[in-house]
Amino acid sequence: MNDPRARIIETAGKCLYCGFCEALCPTRPLGPHRGYGPRGRVNIAYMLAKGDVEASNHVVESLYSCLLCRACELKCPIALPIAEIIRNARGLVAEPGLKASRTHSINRVQVFARRT
Amino acid sequence: MLDVRSILRILADNIKRTGLPVPGDQGLLTSWSTGLGLSEKGDTILYTGGLYQLLPYIEEFAEYLEKLEGGKAGGLLLKAAGRLGRLANLSKIVVRPSREKLEYSRQVLVSIVELLRRAGVEIAYPGGVDSYSGVLLYDMGLDTVFVEHARRVAQKLESVGAETIVTVDPHTTHVLRKVFPQYVEGFAPIVKSYIEVLAENIDKLQFKQGDAGRVVIHDPCFYARYENIIDEPRQLLRRAGYTVVEPRRSGRMTYCCGGPVESIAPRLSRRIAETRARELDEAGGGTIVTLCPICYSNLRRAYRGLGIERDIQDLSILLYRRLGP
Amino acid sequence: MGKAKVIDDPAIAILYTREPSGIRGSHVKAVVFPEEEKDVSLILKTAYKYNVPIYPQGSSTSLSGNSVPLEPGIVVSMERMNRVLEINIVDNYVVVEPGVRMEDLNAELAKYRYMFPVDPASSSVATIGGAINNGAGGLRGAKYGTMRDWLLAVRLGIADEEGSILNLGCYTVKCRSGYDLARLIVGSEGTLGIVTRAVLRITPLPEDTVYALSFFDSLEDLMEAFIEIRRSRLNPFMLEFMDSATVDYASKSLDLPYEPKGNLFLVGIETSPESNQRILDTLTSLLESHGAHTIITAHGDKEAHDKKLFAVRKNLFTGQARYTLEKEGSSGRIMVMIEDIVVPPSKVPEAVTLIRGLGEKYGFTVFIGGHIGDGNLHPAVGFNAEDEEERKRVEQWFHEVMEIALKLGGSISAEHGIGLLKKQGLRMELEYKNSLKALQLMKEIKKAFDPKGLLNPGKVL
Repeated sequence: MNDPRARIIETAGKCLYCGFCEALCPTRPLGPHRGYGPRGRVNIAYMLAKGDVEASNHVVESLYSCLLCRACELKCPIALPIAEIIRNARGLVAEPGLKASRTHSINRVQVFARRT
Repeated sequence: MLDVRSILRILADNIKRTGLPVPGDQGLLTSWSTGLGLSEKGDTILYTGGLYQLLPYIEEFAEYLEKLEGGKAGGLLLKAAGRLGRLANLSKIVVRPSREKLEYSRQVLVSIVELLRRAGVEIAYPGGVDSYSGVLLYDMGLDTVFVEHARRVAQKLESVGAETIVTVDPHTTHVLRKVFPQYVEGFAPIVKSYIEVLAENIDKLQFKQGDAGRVVIHDPCFYARYENIIDEPRQLLRRAGYTVVEPRRSGRMTYCCGGPVESIAPRLSRRIAETRARELDEAGGGTIVTLCPICYSNLRRAYRGLGIERDIQDLSILLYRRLGP
Repeated sequence: MGKAKVIDDPAIAILYTREPSGIRGSHVKAVVFPEEEKDVSLILKTAYKYNVPIYPQGSSTSLSGNSVPLEPGIVVSMERMNRVLEINIVDNYVVVEPGVRMEDLNAELAKYRYMFPVDPASSSVATIGGAINNGAGGLRGAKYGTMRDWLLAVRLGIADEEGSILNLGCYTVKCRSGYDLARLIVGSEGTLGIVTRAVLRITPLPEDTVYALSFFDSLEDLMEAFIEIRRSRLNPFMLEFMDSATVDYASKSLDLPYEPKGNLFLVGIETSPESNQRILDTLTSLLESHGAHTIITAHGDKEAHDKKLFAVRKNLFTGQARYTLEKEGSSGRIMVMIEDIVVPPSKVPEAVTLIRGLGEKYGFTVFIGGHIGDGNLHPAVGFNAEDEEERKRVEQWFHEVMEIALKLGGSISAEHGIGLLKKQGLRMELEYKNSLKALQLMKEIKKAFDPKGLLNPGKVL
């Protein structure tokens, strides 16, 4: 597989910001801000991949509220693989999060075990 | 929105411990096949990937997590549970799905097997090989855990040397057909949804004569937009005597049931499901047909929440009912 | 207002600094999401007290830099005020909040067999508030005009000590309450106040429609057919045009039941079941007699969609974007700049010829399409967004296209507005019309509404 980070930068960086994708997105009209639509998610993914923003709670919510339903892709004038971009960006959030927690959770479990 | 990172940790931990996304054991996946006399070996094997069987458990688990997130203290509790992913108590408390839900899943799978038999497909079910596909790990971006899991699943599948693998739900179909080959070197069996297999053998299927009434079809995103399985279920329903009614958004333009974010953003998920449930209700048909366990459960819950009485059935059940003598 | 209505996370805030023109605004401290009118009032009052610039936004589909923030300040996103409050069929109006998307409004109205006829290409996401402030038009402009023809009244929040909310205009078509301040808001681009509610006229859906998609080898023949239709009493609501080179690009990768060759001309006429065939026959013979080599007709919107009559026209932006992507290679960001001039319809043939010549002079591949029924042309150029030199040349080209419009008795903007991109163009037009003093009047009006200059500063004037 290609490096997901590079792949995000290569694809998401092309977004024209037309917003047509938002029309078909089920979460956009129900979400509290643009991060709940494909245009927002694609650009957040791009910034995250470039290291321009941190994986803040808003960023995590934006990426993880996506249904990966690909309705948006029907409307993208440059046919961006939007669901793929978002899934790859989730990897940037999930993978380090897990590694950090693994050592952490082992320690905690040991503590827990000793107490009980 | 629930605490995503905690959920990811719990999910990854469950998979590593049991191979399943929720606490439980292998028996959950295979007990449905008991007494069906399915052979263990064959060129064409059934691989359920476990989504139908596990969904009642996933639902219960999600509801439990939602309750945990409820109050302020609850939110902290969830985070703590996430950090202490291996907390044994968590797995004991959560999973007690209703008998009715479990029975429905069993019926779906039994119907699929019978439909395949009647279509002249010799289908084997090596129960030891059936396992959870790991699709949730993939969707959530847990790539490392997914790849480890996928390799194990692929190894099992390859060990029986089948030419064709028949799947039963859209997510498993997609992950096995398009995703596995990207992550597991050399994995290249033919993967087909049972719907495709039935459509290929449609002339062998003997259905009862007569009008079976109107049904409104709800295309799942993963069949319609990822795997281009759109015509096949319609052909089958028509052949079985049903009149297929299209909702406002259908086929490639279908609208999601909200299911995929159910365990992470339950309120958002519910509102999407309600939007879709209303739309299907207004289509002017009878029974709603679903092709995916996630759609089935999410829409069913939405109707209950909306107080709308509407029959909703899996495709396999509707087709099975119409099988001739 | 409550914490949930303010977001200061830079990852989210930056999503409110961009638009499809490629113009990027500066970072903002926060985005505020009013959920009811009193939130808007509070925002305006607070902004006035602390001298904070505010940038009202709909869905940021504007094309002239109209809503991007320019200096540290806050964006006020109207997206959460998205309710249709009243549909009144007897009195022929709807009351809506500004964040309602145009297509969503039409989906509601369709239940009553009514419509809101202004339909910009972005209507699936464009909001009513944005359309009012941008003076939006669209494909049906030839018959139905633009926002100014359909706005009856607004509730407008202004930046003063109280954050006052004013009722401007009437619920009725006839209305003579002094100066027409409601329509002054149309095209004001958020520089005068924030619309918190709009009263819009609505109209019944046509009983029936017919369409004819035709292709002409000769541009002159097409233009003659167009002039002939203007002379006739057919009164089409839609008259769309694309030149042959543009058709080639835009139809690439489309699977069509006809061969898209030559200059494209799409005509839509509202009919009744009784008049359908007669009008379609008249239209077809008119197109034939002017040399159309392919004519595909359709009866009703559904058939027109099924026969893919709109596919090429709808693919204009996509075709342009993909062409540019191919040309500029896979690396880097591309930009598509879409011009928006208008000329008297009789001058369209001349305008198209001049624009073609101009494109050759610059060596640009210019995509030419437009709503020629109302004289509105959208020549467009795509280029590498990182190439500063090229960008300057495109801006220069923009300028010369605007000059063509003025020479032919038209205007520098039909429906996309002034924003940042056409501030100079506006000055040029007023100079051309020997009315530069109008610019001064506009500045005075701005000052009267917004004495501290806090609303969308730096735009239009």
